[in-house]
Amino acid sequence: MPMIVAGNIRKLYLPVIILLVIFLFISDILTGSVYIPFNSVIQLISGKSADNPIWHKIITDFRVPKAMTAVLAGMALSVSGLQMQTIFRNPLAGPYVLGISAGASLGVAIVMLGLSPFFGHVNIGPISNWIQIVAAWTGSAFVLILILYASLRIRNVMTILILGVLFGSAISAVISILQYFSHQTMLKAFVIWSMGSLGHVTRSQLDVLAISVLVGLLLSVISVKMLNAMLLGETYALSMGLNLKLSRVLIFASTSILAGSITAFCGPIGFIGIAVPHITRLFLRTADHRLLLPSVMFTGAAIMLLSDLLSQLPGSDYILPVNSITALIGIPVVVWLILKRNGRFYS
Amino acid sequence: MINTEHNQTATKSLIHLEYIDIGYVRPSSGLLALLNNINLSVKAGEIIGLVGRNGSGKSTLLRTIAGLHHPLGGKVLINDQTVHEISGIERAKLIGYVSTEQIIADHIRVNELVALGRFPYTNWIGTLSDDDKTIIDNAINMTGINELREKNISQLSDGERQKAMIARALAQNTAVIILDEPTAFLDLPNRYHILRLLNELAHIHQKTIIYSTHDLNIAFNESDKLWLIYNGKILEGAPEDLIITKGFHKLFENSDIDFNNNTSEIFMRRTYIGNIHVQGDRELNYWTCRALERLGLLSAGDKPALASVITGYKYNKAFWSLHYMNTIQDFFSVYDLISGIKNIINITKNN
Repeated sequence: MPMIVAGNIRKLYLPVIILLVIFLFISDILTGSVYIPFNSVIQLISGKSADNPIWHKIITDFRVPKAMTAVLAGMALSVSGLQMQTIFRNPLAGPYVLGISAGASLGVAIVMLGLSPFFGHVNIGPISNWIQIVAAWTGSAFVLILILYASLRIRNVMTILILGVLFGSAISAVISILQYFSHQTMLKAFVIWSMGSLGHVTRSQLDVLAISVLVGLLLSVISVKMLNAMLLGETYALSMGLNLKLSRVLIFASTSILAGSITAFCGPIGFIGIAVPHITRLFLRTADHRLLLPSVMFTGAAIMLLSDLLSQLPGSDYILPVNSITALIGIPVVVWLILKRNGRFYS
Repeated sequence: MINTEHNQTATKSLIHLEYIDIGYVRPSSGLLALLNNINLSVKAGEIIGLVGRNGSGKSTLLRTIAGLHHPLGGKVLINDQTVHEISGIERAKLIGYVSTEQIIADHIRVNELVALGRFPYTNWIGTLSDDDKTIIDNAINMTGINELREKNISQLSDGERQKAMIARALAQNTAVIILDEPTAFLDLPNRYHILRLLNELAHIHQKTIIYSTHDLNIAFNESDKLWLIYNGKILEGAPEDLIITKGFHKLFENSDIDFNNNTSEIFMRRTYIGNIHVQGDRELNYWTCRALERLGLLSAGDKPALASVITGYKYNKAFWSLHYMNTIQDFFSVYDLISGIKNIINITKNN
């Protein structure tokens, strides 16, 4: 009997979660410090002009980009977490805990702080967005390769985790040094960025972000079969005919782009990447990435939208940092994982 | 003569190892060769047992034959194709591989695990055709794990997991299956169950099986041919051949154990202390001598007897009477007798 139930959940999960994402998306646009009636929101989303031009501006310039960013961030971070958990065979892997987001931050810091003394703060429009995002990808890929190098030698899951934390701390130290020597105005911009926010993404940044995340997700769809083979470890994957180098390049490119892009524009957002794959697996009880990948994608979007909704404290003017909300959702999942598997990590 | 030639052509070898050197390239210390100049061959449908001491290169040899590790020199040929020159996918259609490596990933069901065996045959996203599904079903039925299909592999016992991994290799539909210590971590009934399965695969389904093991009883009883790693070389032959030529004994050089040719039993070498003469009931004598050997005491030997034991039955109850100097003690179990003999040894030591 439980098998039949599990089978049904496997069939129903994706449609239900997609509906949930749509519902949360609309709710997210409806909430904010200014009250805008439901009908006007629907009118505005469907392209008609509203009675109130300020509402129009709030919706199209602030709330829709923010909700879109939440969806993109949720999808990108959770898929990158899923890929890392599979490729490192480490249930505690994620872009934040293993320092991948920190690597991306370093890339951004070098662009924002390191280069400004030489060139000043010149806004060169869309190109600067691309420079920022490519710097973040490079930073992510750098840490990812370090972690791969370490995990080829060390099997212990916890040791890798500690190494990730150490890499993250070392990178933060470098960023602090950069901050110390940088100009006041740039420093302020960087500090605001580093607090992490979905709401600071501009329209032109959103385009860059959307294109990048789509490319990252496309790469991960292409590597779905490789991810399945990698579940059994590299030796088995090789014995089944997997091209290990090609898979690693594809999956690492995808992970770096996904985690790096979000970090580039939203700042480091923690614990979504590690927690969402586990929440999804808890419902689906499968390791098949053909089902897991789309499910993780939409679960990530739903949880990110929910975090954003919670961060706005309905009925008040305060906006909490979205970082704190994701941490409060994600950390209990990580704690549960460690308690549940206590002992199995030390093999 | 004509007959022999006929036999050779009828059973042409499937796998050839030609002048293989096996080992590792270490960035710091250069080449580390484990086995040198190995020439071996395997016929289709044979089951080969690989034995050797820890660190002798068993796993590396198996990984090399499976194409997962490059030899330092020489060639591995399967069906006249060089294993290390064909593409990964083509190789995966020829050779399946099962190791003892633990699978860490959570939430893999047995179904999904076995389905992964179809990896070399499916399209880019891994869609299973009806043929694939039939092959997966057959693999599951052949290994007898039908009831476990929906189970998470982390819930399986070691024996069940090993069967599931073999089913995955079967779904890969290869002529050759290589297994690295398939009976490690298993209890005795499970070990023989796995071996019976491998035997069926070889002798009924014509799969060629190469497996390594530390269990010499299994290797000796359940292999068509043994490969015995000794001193960087491999001795090859039917298990019985290796016993007749004393090759089997080489495994035990510089070790605490030895092999008894007559009983094909492995026993521990002990320091010889002295003699205790045993006489009486045949069966009781046998078990009594066995227990005495544990103490380093033999029933007949060069030294004068320390004491003598007479075994027999009194009122349907086994008894042992121990004659030492001028005393006689009666015991009613081997355990008590041994305790009595230990006392005597202590007395002689102190004197």
